Amino acid sequence: MSQKSIGEFEEIVLLIVAILNGEAYSVNIIEEIEERLHRNASLGAVQTVLKRLEAKGFVSSDFGAATKARGGKRKRLYEITPSGQEILEQTRAQRNALWDAIPKLSFKLS
Amino acid sequence: MPYRSSRLNSVKVKKKENKPSRIALAFFHWYCKRAFREEIEGDLMERFSRYKEKYGYTKANQLFIKEVILLFRPTLIGNIYQLTNTETMMITNQNKRLLSIMAAATALLFIPFVAMQFTSEVNWQFFDFLVAAILLCGTGLVLEFILRKVKTRRRRMVLALTLFLVLILVWAGLAVGIFGTVVAGS
Repeated sequence: MSQKSIGEFEEIVLLIVAILNGEAYSVNIIEEIEERLHRNASLGAVQTVLKRLEAKGFVSSDFGAATKARGGKRKRLYEITPSGQEILEQTRAQRNALWDAIPKLSFKLS
Repeated sequence: MPYRSSRLNSVKVKKKENKPSRIALAFFHWYCKRAFREEIEGDLMERFSRYKEKYGYTKANQLFIKEVILLFRPTLIGNIYQLTNTETMMITNQNKRLLSIMAAATALLFIPFVAMQFTSEVNWQFFDFLVAAILLCGTGLVLEFILRKVKTRRRRMVLALTLFLVLILVWAGLAVGIFGTVVAGS
């Protein structure tokens, strides 16, 4: 698999980062996944994916403010990069091409 | 006075209930890469406070420990230098010694295991390893207990030598049956 491709969970996290528009950090990404997709995600899984996406250059990050609820620790806010947007569009185009390639007969039989 | 002490106790309990497991947090500090520590610890604390509001302290603490364990992943853990630097886990000298004793016991158990791979003369079963492990680890724990409780050097020496003598006699008794006991097979 090339460095410039993403897995299913990476795609979900990247989409959520785009939805949250500069306010994305692991805790609210998990909440969005649970709320929108009714799917559980652990902090470890989300953190790992965020680090991987950052290493691939699809997201960039910066420290945000510290709050009392976080024990005085700062949060790391993630933002989608132009190459992140590009990979999302590419993935979407690939999926659409695959959907378009399905013969209508396949759905009728099932 | 009793009123004051009970009030102090309730303040202590409240303080404790605001914080998650110290051991889990120390474990997290030990393995997590320094560059990621602040943000992830903040995330853990935020999740803990949300869980606490939702489920109460006990369940929140259990979920906190589970999350710390699930965060133990290759991407997030530090390099071998950091993991072997036990000061990050605030391990005391006593605990370091206990770890060394246990590591020595495990290393001794590896000797017959390795020998079994090269010669058929050494043929240990699972039960043999189990008994040897209990004997060695038990001796190690008793030795650590002696070293922690007995302060004078002379008494330490006497007790430690007695302990090793007992270990050797029990080991020899189990291995070749030097005594006329049921355990020795007589």
